[in-house]
Amino acid sequence: MCFRNLPIEFDAQGGATLRGGGADPFGYETKAIDRDEIKKLLAKNGYVKAVDYDPVTRVAGALGFHSVVDLENRKVLEASSIATLFRGYEVILKGRDPRDAIFISSRACGVCGGVHSTCSALAIEMAFKICPPPLAVIIRNLALSMEFIWDNSMHLFMLAGPDYSEAMIKKTEPTLWDKATRTETRWGSIHGYSKMSDLFHDMNPLVGKLYLEGLELSRMAREGYVTLMSKYPHPETIVPGGISHTVTIQSFNVYLNRLMKTFDFAKRGIAIWNDIADFFYDANEKYKECGTRPVNMADLGIWDDPNAYDATYENCDAWGERRWATPGVILDGKLVTSKLQQINLGIEEFIEHSYYENWTGQPHKTDPLGAPLSPHHPWNKETKPKPAGTNWREKYSWATAPRWDRVAVEAGTYARPWITVLAGKLPHRRFLDLTPDSMKILIPKYLDPAVEVEWKIPPVFNAFERNRARAYSIAYQCVVAYDNWLMGMDLLKTGDYRTSTPFEVPKDHRMGVGFWGAGRGWLSHHLELDKGAIVNYQIITPSTLNACPKDPWGNPGPYEEAVLATPILEEFASPEKFKGIDILRAIRSFDPCMPCTTHIYAGDQHITCEVNTCACGADD
Amino acid sequence: MPAGPTIDTPRSAAAPDPDASGLTTELDSSGAPRLLVGGVGYRLLRDLSFGPLLIERLARESWPDGVELEDLSYGPVGVMHNLDARPPYDRIVLVAAVKRGRPAGDVLRYAWRRQLPDADEIQARVAEAVTGVISLDNLLIIATYFDKLPRDVVVIEVEALDEDWGEEFSPEVERAVPRVIEEIRRSISGLLPS
Repeated sequence: MCFRNLPIEFDAQGGATLRGGGADPFGYETKAIDRDEIKKLLAKNGYVKAVDYDPVTRVAGALGFHSVVDLENRKVLEASSIATLFRGYEVILKGRDPRDAIFISSRACGVCGGVHSTCSALAIEMAFKICPPPLAVIIRNLALSMEFIWDNSMHLFMLAGPDYSEAMIKKTEPTLWDKATRTETRWGSIHGYSKMSDLFHDMNPLVGKLYLEGLELSRMAREGYVTLMSKYPHPETIVPGGISHTVTIQSFNVYLNRLMKTFDFAKRGIAIWNDIADFFYDANEKYKECGTRPVNMADLGIWDDPNAYDATYENCDAWGERRWATPGVILDGKLVTSKLQQINLGIEEFIEHSYYENWTGQPHKTDPLGAPLSPHHPWNKETKPKPAGTNWREKYSWATAPRWDRVAVEAGTYARPWITVLAGKLPHRRFLDLTPDSMKILIPKYLDPAVEVEWKIPPVFNAFERNRARAYSIAYQCVVAYDNWLMGMDLLKTGDYRTSTPFEVPKDHRMGVGFWGAGRGWLSHHLELDKGAIVNYQIITPSTLNACPKDPWGNPGPYEEAVLATPILEEFASPEKFKGIDILRAIRSFDPCMPCTTHIYAGDQHITCEVNTCACGADD
Repeated sequence: MPAGPTIDTPRSAAAPDPDASGLTTELDSSGAPRLLVGGVGYRLLRDLSFGPLLIERLARESWPDGVELEDLSYGPVGVMHNLDARPPYDRIVLVAAVKRGRPAGDVLRYAWRRQLPDADEIQARVAEAVTGVISLDNLLIIATYFDKLPRDVVVIEVEALDEDWGEEFSPEVERAVPRVIEEIRRSISGLLPS
C-alpha cells in the first residue's frame, strides 16, 4: 500500500479501488493559519524581525520569500514562499492543436526549455498512441543529459556557488574564513586546492576560476545539445514520435567531443562539494540543520530505455522502471513506490493559499486504467487565475500547492540517485552500480584517469547534501549520456537511422501524460484532447513542488519547511547587519527556478507582471 | 528585470556619435571589414520582438561583403561564447526594442561607451542570463565585462509600445522600421570600402 492519506487501495494484482466511498471520498477540511503569536512577537520584540527577500537573487525567475526571524534565539519563526508571477501556459494551450504544445510549453522556462518540449512530446505520444524509434529515444537522452549537466553545474558554480565563496564568507562568517585559511582540504589531489581558503577564493563570482569554468562548461554543454537538436533554448526539432531531423556518426562524434570534456569537470566538482560540505560540518555541527527537512521527495524518472519505452499508459510501470533514473516517491526516507501509475494517482494540486479560484466538477473519476482519480488531480484541474492582495494567512503565491498523498514532497536532481538506490531496479549497469545505500559511478577517462565515485545516501539531509548530491548527479548524467552514446553508435552501425514515426492527429477523445524531469527534478505534463484540440493541459514543474505555499492543512511547502528548520549561524553585530545567508543557502540549495511568462489572456482580462509586487507590503 | 539605469543609454540628443569613433579598421584577407548586425529580443512579444524580426527582414535585402546578420537572441552568455570563437569584428551593430519611457517608436542610435555597473550588478546580470533572460542590457554588460565585444559597438534602440503576444509590431514601431534600417546602413557604411 503506497497511500496513507488518499482513499485508494491496491489488490494483490495491483488493481486500484476507492476505499470507503461516500459522497466525497477525496474531501478534506482546511485548517486556518494562526499568526497571532507572530504578530505579538513582531510588535514587542526588537530582535524578532520580518525579513523579506523580493526577489531572491541568483535564482531563475521571480521568487520572493517572507520570513520572520528571531535574531536573539537564532530561529526562523515563519516562512512563506512566494511565486510572484503567473505562468499561465495551461490557459494559453487550451483549444490549440496539440502539436503546438511542444513549442509553446517549451517557453515555460528559458533554462530548461528542452525538457518541457520533451515532456510535451511524451504526453502527446501517449495520447496519439505512437512510439518513437530507438534512435530518437537515445538522441533525446543524449541532448537532455547535456541540458542537465549544464543546468546543475550552472547552479553549483554560478547561482548557489557564490554563497560558498570567499567574498560571501568574509562578509557573513568571518571566523569561518579565518578557519578556512588554516584548513587543509581532503580532496585536494582531485580538485587541486590544498587550502579551503583557496577553494573558496576560486568560488568568487565573476572572477573566481571555478565560476569562470562553470560559464565555460555551459558553452560545451550547449554545443553538445545543439549538435543533436539544432537549437537551444526552445528546440524546434522535438516532435511527437521522435525528432524531426536525422543524425550522423559525424554529429555523434562532435557530441562526444563535448561530452568527454565534462568528465573531468564532474570529477573535480564532486571533490569540491565534498570538501565544502565537510568543512562546514567540521566548523559547526549546526550547519547540518541548514535547509533540513524530512526526506520526502518524488521523481518521475528520466532517460527512457530505447528498447522498453512504448509511450503507453498501460505499460508505464514497466518502461518507467527501465529508466536510467527510476521513478519513485520517498516518504520519511523510505521508498513507497516506483510505479509511475501510482505516482500519477498520488499527485494533487491545492490552491487555498494561491491566487486561483477552486474548480468544480471532476470530469475524470478514474485514470485510463480505471484507477480512482482525485478531483484535485491535474487531469481534473482547471486553471482559474484570480489575482488578489498578498495575505500570509490566505493567498500569497502564484504557485499551487502540489502534494503527493497529501504530503509535501520535494523535487531535485538528487532525488534521482536516492530513489534509484532505494528501488534497486536499475537495469543499465555499464557505468553505474548500486549497493543498498549507494550508487557507484564509473566516470571514464578524459585528461584525468577514469575514476569510480560513490554517492552514499547521507545520514543527514540539508542544503549541503542537496549540493553535494547535485555534484554527483553531474557525473551520473555524464555516464548515462556516454552509455546512450555507445548504444546510439551501435544503432547507427547497423544502419538504423530512423528518428521519427508517422502520425495523424486523432479526432477522438484522448488522454496523455508526460512523465519526465528537469535538471531540477520532477516535470509532468498532463494532457486531454478532443476533436483534434487540447481540452486541458496541466504542467507541474519541480519549482512548483518546491516553492509551493502551504497546503489546505497549513503544512508548509518544501522551501518553507527547510527555512523553518534552519538555524541562524551568521555572524552579525546588530540586527541591521543581518543578511540572512543561512536562509538563502537553504532556499538556493533547491535550485529554484521560477520562470514564467509575463503575459496571459484570461478571457478579456489581461494580466501582466504588475499583478503582484513586493512582499514587504503584504497584509496581515 | 530592472530597466538598465546603470548603463549608458543616452536619452537625449547628446548621445555619443558612433560615426565619430575614429577607430581604424583592420581588413580581413578578402579586403572587407567584419561587421555584425545583431538583433536581440524575445519572439512573439510584438514590439519587443523587434530585434529578431528585423533581422529576418534585413536578410531579404542585399548587403555588402563582410556584413553578417544574426539573430542574437539565444542568450548573452551564448552570444559571448560565440563571439569569442570567431575572428574579431570591426564593428557590431545591435538592434533591439526597449522600454525606457521615451515616445513609442523613437529611434536612438548611440555608441556603446562600455560603462559598467558595479560587480554585484554585473553578477546579477550573469545570473539572469544563465537562467534564461535575454536582454540588450544584459548582453552589453556581460559581453563588455568579459571583454568579448570590439571597441566599436553601435546600439540602435527603438522604444516599444506593445508587448502583447504576437508577431506584429504596433503602428508606431512599424513606422520606425525604415528609419532603423537607414540607421543600420549608416552605421556600417563608414567602415565599408567605397
